[in-house]
Amino acid sequence: MAEAIQKKLQSELEKYQQMQKDVSKSMSARQKLEAQLTENNIVKEELDLLDSENTVYKLIGPVLVKQDLEEAKATVAKRLQYINGEIQRYETLLKDMEKKSDQHREVLSSLQQEYQKAQGRAVGKV
Amino acid sequence: MAEENKTKIEAPQGVNRLRVEHEKVVKGCEGQIQHWEKVKGDYEVLQDRLKTLPDKVSHDVMVPFGSLAFMPGKLVHTNEITVLLGDSWFAKCSAKQAQKLVEHRKKHVQSVLDDLQKTRNNFEARIGFTQDLENLSDSKGGLVDIREEVGGIEDIVSNGKRRVALKPHSKPKMEAIVKIEEEEEVGDRTRVLSEDELWARLDELEAQEELEEKLDRSDAADTNGNDEMTSSSEEEKNEGDRPDEIPKGMTLGPVNTCLVNGISQSTWEGGEEAEDVGDLLPTIHFVHTVEPKKVRINTGKNTMLKFSEMKEQKQHAKRKKNGNSNGHSHHGPNITSPMDIYRLFVDVKNGERVPRKSILKSRSRENSVCSDTSEGSAADFEERRMFGRTLSHDDNTYSDTSDGVTEEEGSPAGNQNQPTSRFQAFSDTVVEKEPLPLSVPHLTISPPALPTIPERKLEEVAPEAPQEAPKRVSKFKAARLQHK
Repeated sequence: MAEAIQKKLQSELEKYQQMQKDVSKSMSARQKLEAQLTENNIVKEELDLLDSENTVYKLIGPVLVKQDLEEAKATVAKRLQYINGEIQRYETLLKDMEKKSDQHREVLSSLQQEYQKAQGRAVGKV
Repeated sequence: MAEENKTKIEAPQGVNRLRVEHEKVVKGCEGQIQHWEKVKGDYEVLQDRLKTLPDKVSHDVMVPFGSLAFMPGKLVHTNEITVLLGDSWFAKCSAKQAQKLVEHRKKHVQSVLDDLQKTRNNFEARIGFTQDLENLSDSKGGLVDIREEVGGIEDIVSNGKRRVALKPHSKPKMEAIVKIEEEEEVGDRTRVLSEDELWARLDELEAQEELEEKLDRSDAADTNGNDEMTSSSEEEKNEGDRPDEIPKGMTLGPVNTCLVNGISQSTWEGGEEAEDVGDLLPTIHFVHTVEPKKVRINTGKNTMLKFSEMKEQKQHAKRKKNGNSNGHSHHGPNITSPMDIYRLFVDVKNGERVPRKSILKSRSRENSVCSDTSEGSAADFEERRMFGRTLSHDDNTYSDTSDGVTEEEGSPAGNQNQPTSRFQAFSDTVVEKEPLPLSVPHLTISPPALPTIPERKLEEVAPEAPQEAPKRVSKFKAARLQHK
């Protein structure tokens, strides 16, 4: 009885740890996205400071490609939208993961209690 | 905190860990702050460089050649600057434009720095708190938690009931009022407060509060009277609420009598109020009837006070004798209100204040104030007249209704001012002066402070209207007799 519970406990524990890892991954991805968001915001603002007279280049690999200022602005705006969407997606993902991990935690704690009870009984019996 | 004291072993560890974590955060913040400060410095250097660069068409520089060598070279196109905008975007701009961009970036860096500073300060504060908590739990650092067990004291002292200090002009408890309603011997006792009545009563209570405020304002002039009133007012207040309704000309017909009676008892307070109220609202509780009433009042101290006017008079006499049980000092012949004047001319027989018998003939007695024909009394009389006009009818009516009850008093009516002794500026004499039509429709509930005096009186008096006219004189005399 105690052993069965113990096994259950371990499996649950592993699952929980896995969940935690996923959560942390999502968290880091989201943080990256946030950094990109701020950066793109700065780029957008600086592009606004410029006028069409000066040339804009985009670095594609080792090549600097000339770009139109308006095109550049549009591209940056699109990228910003994309980043925002990604962030929201990650947010929802994180929430779900959190809920799941909470559930797992509860299961774990209940299993732990059972395990302790069983151990106590076993000790008593012994 | 107590728990910490008890669980010393556990709490400090948690607190410790919390503090450690806080410190980590603070350190992280500080690291970041340093980084951003460096960035800011770099940008400032860059700005300077950008300013000097366009000065010359070409600069002679030592160009780094690999990692270990330099080579003399020239910096040309000094005004063309390719700026990395971020995210692999470049822009070619002049030195000035580049400067603008740098300024913009500096702003951003500054905002980041500010945020970091804020968080760092926050966490530093939290560290301080946790530190205090730790000290407290470890009972070191000179912090001592003083605790006092509170057990069983409440049982001992208050008999399970909280004592509430009654303020002099606070409103009487509702329960007291209800009790009074039950116990009033006059008229319809079984008055059930309907919703409307309750609302009306609320309005009246509000008006009464205003009156009380006014009273307080007039305290300067009527300190003595007020002082005495306060103690009695508290008692009276219990019934005071109802009386308040009357001034508003409200409520139910049958109730009026009860209210009126209540009012008469509350004349103590009314005595002073009447004068003030007269200024504000013509109605006033003054209705004060001459007849002493017997009512059982639930005073603020949870005692039932069997109230009868005679008793009240006695109490007042006693209070005055004892220099105000309320603690207010009662100086000798300190006249601050018409009532005081009256008091001076009151004989005390058997502990009761008995007004002196007027030396005037019976008929003219109605118009005379207590045997004293001094100016003060005359002035009071005039004053009372004004109030009395509104109230005279009420008085008559009330006395009518209360006749059955108050007959026992049988006080000598020699002095109509007897009510004044209880702070009732009202006197019977006033009655005659006011020939108010009693046929006015009776308004059960009128908005407070709205109706004119005559209306109000009519409202109050309406039920008694038929009785008033013919009995005016007789009631008056009866009142006087009762006072005797």
